[in-house]
Amino acid sequence: MVVQDLKVLICDDSMFARKKLNMTLSSFGVKDIFEAADGEEAVEKYKEHQPDVVFMDIIMPKITGIDALKEIMAINPDAKIVMASSVGTQGHLKEALKAGAADFLQKPIADDDAKTILENAAKGVL
Amino acid sequence: MFAQFFGGYLLNKKLVSAADLTQAFEDKSNTRMRLGVLAINAGLMTAEQVEHVNVTQQSVDKRFGDLAVELGYITAAQVDKLLAQQPTEYLILGQTLVNNGALSNAEFEKAINDYKKSYQLSENDLNGGRSENAVKVVSDFYHLEKAENARVLTNYVTMLFKNIIRFIGSDFTPLESFMVREFDAKYLIEQKIIGDLSAVTCIAADKDEYIEFARKFAGETFGNIDDFVNETVGEFLNVTNGLFAVNESNEQGVELSMTPQRSIINNKITFDKAAFCIPVAFNFGEIDFLFSIN
Repeated sequence: MVVQDLKVLICDDSMFARKKLNMTLSSFGVKDIFEAADGEEAVEKYKEHQPDVVFMDIIMPKITGIDALKEIMAINPDAKIVMASSVGTQGHLKEALKAGAADFLQKPIADDDAKTILENAAKGVL
Repeated sequence: MFAQFFGGYLLNKKLVSAADLTQAFEDKSNTRMRLGVLAINAGLMTAEQVEHVNVTQQSVDKRFGDLAVELGYITAAQVDKLLAQQPTEYLILGQTLVNNGALSNAEFEKAINDYKKSYQLSENDLNGGRSENAVKVVSDFYHLEKAENARVLTNYVTMLFKNIIRFIGSDFTPLESFMVREFDAKYLIEQKIIGDLSAVTCIAADKDEYIEFARKFAGETFGNIDDFVNETVGEFLNVTNGLFAVNESNEQGVELSMTPQRSIINNKITFDKAAFCIPVAFNFGEIDFLFSIN
């Protein structure tokens, strides 16, 4: 698979953060990009679109990104979920990795980091 | 960061006006450092000697350095050393203020010497980009060493200014801080830090300044305040608080998280513990940053 063929879900309550990451992913040629504004919507959109990669914020209304991660992992234990949060504390890192996160990115997300994630996902090594 | 705090010092001491600083920040990208200001800063020449060389240059076709050596004010080796130095931001700001006529060489000499003396800063402190130097400059400027929760406050404020430089720009002047229990907000974004410590953080401004701050962060133009503008300002606060939380986690083993941001328009916000309010003057106007530790 190539990066351009990946289906990506962006989960973030910040419209600004979603738009920025969407623009970055689009610049890499990704066409199928879906967005969710809270944890509940993230789970719904995951079920609906079965994305190859999920970028998940942690602090979100309704259910947090960590809880959404757990729900999605329960649906698909092979889901590739990258936590993308401004709060990359040791506690959050441990909790996310324990719940099955594939990686953790500190916000603001650097374009190169997003690209590496997509390339690894395309190669099947995320 | 030192240029902005040196600017704040000049403003607090009423040595320059806010308009002088705004103009200097706009002009400084075109400023070429002159040997006279470098020599004054290094303590190798006095302002009087620099003026003498400048005046003599009007009747003799010689470069400043050659003339200063001839007049015995400085050695050729010192000239070479000064010319080899990479000019620092605060010196470029100083040179721009001198070029613009906001400061004379003598006023610059006194200001830079007093600034270094007041805050016990060495040239090394001001030249280096090491974070402990930034922490010291911030702590000294706001007298945070005497504040309750001094360490947390100093680290937060230092992180805030680093992020302003990183995401908004370096053309600003920190103004004198003050404590508030209540704040009348025109447009305000609030986010709480929770966990091993509890704090309330806010960014507040009038309409035009709020929109401009969002524009600077997003790199987009906004016509009016809508959800997207609020979320853009909120995201700056979120990123700043997040990086602060990461630092606290890595360096102090303190676990922190944050609540979703909240927008307040034309209303009063009350703090349980007095908030530290830091006004910052940008070229587009003033933004207030508030931080209250419970």
